Amino acid sequence: MSLTIYGQSLDSRLLIGSALYPSPKIMQDAILASGSQVVTLSLKRQNPQQQSGKQIWQYIQETVKENKGFLLPNTAGCKTAKEAVTLAQMSREIFQTDWIKLEVIGDDYNLQPDAIELLAATEQLIALGFKVLPYCTDDLVICQRLYDLGCEVIMPWASPIGTGKGLMNPYNLETIRLRLPEATLILDAGIGRPSDACLAMEIGYDGILLNSAVALADNPVLMAQAFACALNAGEQGYVAGIMQQRQTAHPSTPTLDTPFWHQPQ
Amino acid sequence: MNVLINGQGYKLALPTEQNLQQALTLFLNNNQHQGTFAVALNGEFVGKESYQETELSANDSVDVLFPIQGG
Repeated sequence: MSLTIYGQSLDSRLLIGSALYPSPKIMQDAILASGSQVVTLSLKRQNPQQQSGKQIWQYIQETVKENKGFLLPNTAGCKTAKEAVTLAQMSREIFQTDWIKLEVIGDDYNLQPDAIELLAATEQLIALGFKVLPYCTDDLVICQRLYDLGCEVIMPWASPIGTGKGLMNPYNLETIRLRLPEATLILDAGIGRPSDACLAMEIGYDGILLNSAVALADNPVLMAQAFACALNAGEQGYVAGIMQQRQTAHPSTPTLDTPFWHQPQ
Repeated sequence: MNVLINGQGYKLALPTEQNLQQALTLFLNNNQHQGTFAVALNGEFVGKESYQETELSANDSVDVLFPIQGG
């Protein structure tokens, strides 16, 4: 049961971030423990004398080589389509990939994507040959527009980045799944618990992108393993077909020949 | 001539007709210069193949970005 992103088949349905870990070594161990083959990273200004960024980059390269994975650069920090397009072009040159996790933030308080700028950036990037993975809210119409522009992958949020609040609006997320059956849907941002990831997979999402939930755990490596298990459980539950809820109780044990039978009241 | 590199002002040695390659040499130490970075000039991407031919004007803003961790 593999995930396909723009034609690339992946063994894991988990995409994982490389930030916020207690150390580069723990980052590497957690990513490998998660089984994820897609690692997100970014570009920033840095004083050339600083070696910390260089060390992280070396660790990320080693990790991706070891898990036969792929880099997914993001456009974190961009607030306009122009900024995002420029940063995407810079990322493509460095990382040699057409994939871009497109973030265009419209509000500093909850880091909510700016839908207008996001759509504009998506259109420009697709024209430049990028394969766009847009981070967006759980707005069905925005997701539809992104899909119509040519995004094979759509990444609505569960809740704002880094909050760990889980699925704020399961109804919206389920509606997006139902209305865009052909899109690859990856739930991105706000995941806190393994059960959040499991729930998203149970409603038919194709994958999960997370960072803080693993990196900020007391034991990131163990939490990475927990998320891997949760995704598998949720996916298998979805594939197996979850029973319909019923309003009234139904006995599990056969009632025929029940001793001491009483007529139900 | 002054240019801004990553938000900081740098005065280039020669008075006129500096190119982007010269500005980057000023900014990057030799070790990092062989490393991984990408460049934007006044908010527009400039590919590596164009550094030498891209001329700078006074008060241009150059961004030199490096890989870091991200979510």
